[in-house]
Amino acid sequence: MPEQWIYWFKEVGQELNNILGKKCANLGELTKAGFHVPPGFALGVQAYERFMKETEAEKRLLEFFNNFHADAEAVEDTTKFDEAAEVIRGIVESINMPSDMEETVRKYYAELCKETGDENTFVATRSAGPSSHPGQYETYLNISGAEDVVRHIIRVWSSTFNTRSIISRARLNLPLHYDPIGVAVLSMVDAKAAGVILTVNPVNGDESKVALEAGYGVGEAVVSGNVTPDRYLIDKVTLEIDEKVISDKKAEYAYNPETKEMEWKELPQEKRNVPCLEDDEIIELTKIAKKVEAHFGCLQDIEFSISMSLPFPDNIFLVQARPESIWGKKKKESVLGKKSGFELLFEKATTPVKLKID
Amino acid sequence: MAEKKQFPFAEEVALPPELEGWEEMYPPQRLFSEDRAEWEKRHFWYQDKIHASDPMYPLDDIFQEAWQIALSQFTTRVFCIPPAQGVAQRMLGCYMYICAVEPPPPEVIGKKAELFGKRVPYTFENYLKQFEVWLERFQKLGRDMENLNIPEKLPEFVPDDEVVPMPKGITPGAEVMENFNTIISMIFKSWQYHFQYLNLAYLAYLMFVDTAGKLFPGIKESTIGKMVAGAEVSMFRPEEELCRLSRLAAAKNSVKDILKGSGSAEEKMNALNKTEDGKAWLGEIEKIKDPWFFVSCGSGWYHHEGSWITKMDVPFSYIESYIQRLENGDKIERNFDEISEERERIVKEYRALIKSEDDLKSFDDAYKVVRSIYRYAEDHLFWVEHWLHTIWFAKIRQFGKLLVNQNVLKKTDDIFLFNRFEIPMILEDMVTAWALGEGAPPRKMWQEKAEKRAKILEAAEKWNPVPALGIPPEEISEPFTLMLWGVTTDKVDEWLKGTGVVDESVTELKGFASSAGKAEGPARVLKVLGDVVKLQPGEIMVTPSTNPSWAPVFTKIKGAVTDIGGLTSHAAIVSREYGLPSVTGTGVATTIIKTGDIIRLDGSTGVVTIVKRA
Repeated sequence: MPEQWIYWFKEVGQELNNILGKKCANLGELTKAGFHVPPGFALGVQAYERFMKETEAEKRLLEFFNNFHADAEAVEDTTKFDEAAEVIRGIVESINMPSDMEETVRKYYAELCKETGDENTFVATRSAGPSSHPGQYETYLNISGAEDVVRHIIRVWSSTFNTRSIISRARLNLPLHYDPIGVAVLSMVDAKAAGVILTVNPVNGDESKVALEAGYGVGEAVVSGNVTPDRYLIDKVTLEIDEKVISDKKAEYAYNPETKEMEWKELPQEKRNVPCLEDDEIIELTKIAKKVEAHFGCLQDIEFSISMSLPFPDNIFLVQARPESIWGKKKKESVLGKKSGFELLFEKATTPVKLKID
Repeated sequence: MAEKKQFPFAEEVALPPELEGWEEMYPPQRLFSEDRAEWEKRHFWYQDKIHASDPMYPLDDIFQEAWQIALSQFTTRVFCIPPAQGVAQRMLGCYMYICAVEPPPPEVIGKKAELFGKRVPYTFENYLKQFEVWLERFQKLGRDMENLNIPEKLPEFVPDDEVVPMPKGITPGAEVMENFNTIISMIFKSWQYHFQYLNLAYLAYLMFVDTAGKLFPGIKESTIGKMVAGAEVSMFRPEEELCRLSRLAAAKNSVKDILKGSGSAEEKMNALNKTEDGKAWLGEIEKIKDPWFFVSCGSGWYHHEGSWITKMDVPFSYIESYIQRLENGDKIERNFDEISEERERIVKEYRALIKSEDDLKSFDDAYKVVRSIYRYAEDHLFWVEHWLHTIWFAKIRQFGKLLVNQNVLKKTDDIFLFNRFEIPMILEDMVTAWALGEGAPPRKMWQEKAEKRAKILEAAEKWNPVPALGIPPEEISEPFTLMLWGVTTDKVDEWLKGTGVVDESVTELKGFASSAGKAEGPARVLKVLGDVVKLQPGEIMVTPSTNPSWAPVFTKIKGAVTDIGGLTSHAAIVSREYGLPSVTGTGVATTIIKTGDIIRLDGSTGVVTIVKRA
């Protein structure tokens, strides 16, 4: 029996970080810890390796890169990387999955369909690198049917050969032809709205606040920055919404059943400037975010989706959680210094309050 | 409003002609004056709407005189808060204006800093023990005041036992004069005690706000308020007694039926006295009425507000509504355990967010300091403004009654139309006339003055005084100015905008976000507590400010809006205790909002919106 390369999320946790990729391991951890995560399965880096080694892929790529010379630091060479990416992605995506692997993926998908109760249930295939490279690899949404699922898993693998990934490996002197990642196959949430939660106020590092951004449709609208999201600041302790900025959300990223593609759709005027989340959803998300933070023991960057068909609070799904990357890395320095209550009192007593009259 | 950076000076304010002669009512040191004009113009004066929102009766002004000295000296001469000085007062058109005095020279700040360091930490550490001594001392003062003997009438002849076997030496007439001097000393003394710990309590609170704000830049003052609020203070006791009395009454049908019936409190008490149960219930009031019914129906600052004990209709109306709530199966008592638990949860959760060991230590110590002394801000209020002032007003009315009975004044309360320096003259005139024998008349001018002054005060009531005078300062370090009166950049800006007439088109007011939550409903503007009987359940109360005797009102309302008061004002505290939204310190709510307007208040942002005009 070769090493295991496919797992249900409910079976895995953070201990499999290196085998599954961070995203999958964290999703597994969230599922196991009882958070509401869409069901799905994960292909480990082992699957990538088998695909590359057991097909002619690795050999063909090695050959290609042996004859490929370009300087990753030189701007004029960018087009060379572009062309290489196109060629290689063409090669990879034309190769079939080893048949036993394909059969297993089909079996897992069939079981997922059974679990969700939908024949040809919609899934997202998402990349999951062992270390976090947000936005480097690709994600495909609203994939339906076993054949498309198999094809899109290969497309996610192939996204390790998109221009930015190749350049980034070239800069780091890593092998260009090989970059094993995991793939998450996650049941799609029929999202009426989605967004991101940081368990810290990103503006000033205040850890007593949760910052939440949300837009209509799936989370890509917020994450990609194509839409100015609604923004909220919520107090973790009092669970009060301290700030609420409702933005003009011009569009949403949504599935078009006719073209079977995810498309940008302009929103009608009356929908644009109203909040895309209810207050009780915001409070519930805050409570969940606090729990996720407590579970992982560090500041979190969480992606969520709100289903349009399920009732509150079952409609809230987490689709990603990872350590927050800016404030979380800062060493927490003392802001007050070690002072006695009296020293603080003295400081206050000797510092006048400025009035600004203009 | 960028062009209006200053307010008029005192001499530029045009007073209505009906106020002519107003200056005579107040001692000369309390008026703006040419000889001090330079100093006065260097300072920024604003109308003290907390303690003097109404035109000032000359005798009620005594509390103001007393606090000017007491508050200021604890800052400047006792605890020596380094850059802060006192708060000065001036009367203008029967309204009182106050200012935080400019900082002292640097060398004085240095000397004060040294003394502050020596005196303040010790006081904080020993506060709890010291408060017991304070209370004992204060209660003795109140009892002594109660025990001053003021006769209803001067006797035609002094009684036998004051002559034989040995003449007493002084007569009831002389005693009355002496007792007035004594009561004046007593009220000044009580106000000395009033500030014994208050400056430090406020400073500690401001310090904690700063500390918490540095750790959690986005923490709201309403949350800090929850962290420091105490529930176990004397201020809440009168209300607890009302709840207890209501439960006792609800358990006895005969008592309950009388209390729920129509009629005045006096009629109800007469009816209760005719039944055994009723008598027993009244006996319970008798046992606790002093001190717990010695609660002002207003702020405690004006003689005309009355106290529960002199206006029993007020506590009876509360009891009636509590009985009603009990019959509906509602709980009437505030759950102090829940309040404390919530306070502890909030503190614990914020504390858990602090990552640095040093910060944790500083936070803990800062919290300890504020918690040790903060309750004084509530405790003193009951004992001074309510209990002692109730005794004071009763006693002064005995002097007033005597003056009426001796044909010097026409009405008992006319005594409040004279200041504390004038009353000894009037009493002397009265005693002289008595001593001279039959037929010697006192001056008629006292009655004429009283009549004239009553008219002036009536006119002053109709006048809308300017909110502030002079040039706003660049910085403030006086703790009361910051905390109690809530003088901030925003506040001054608002006054600047509002120097003219009140703009009826305003639909949004801003104040302190003092108790979180939202409410929408009809407004009820309550200028005096007497209006409380008009209040309907579910209304939002709009009032200049509130005080402990208003506490039961909070069970009826959906939310509270006040003109005056910061995050630790009474309305803010009680709202948080009841979990009601409140916005305090709006400055103009009672002027702009009218009873019946539909308003929306957001106690998390401090915004009050007029949704629909009545």
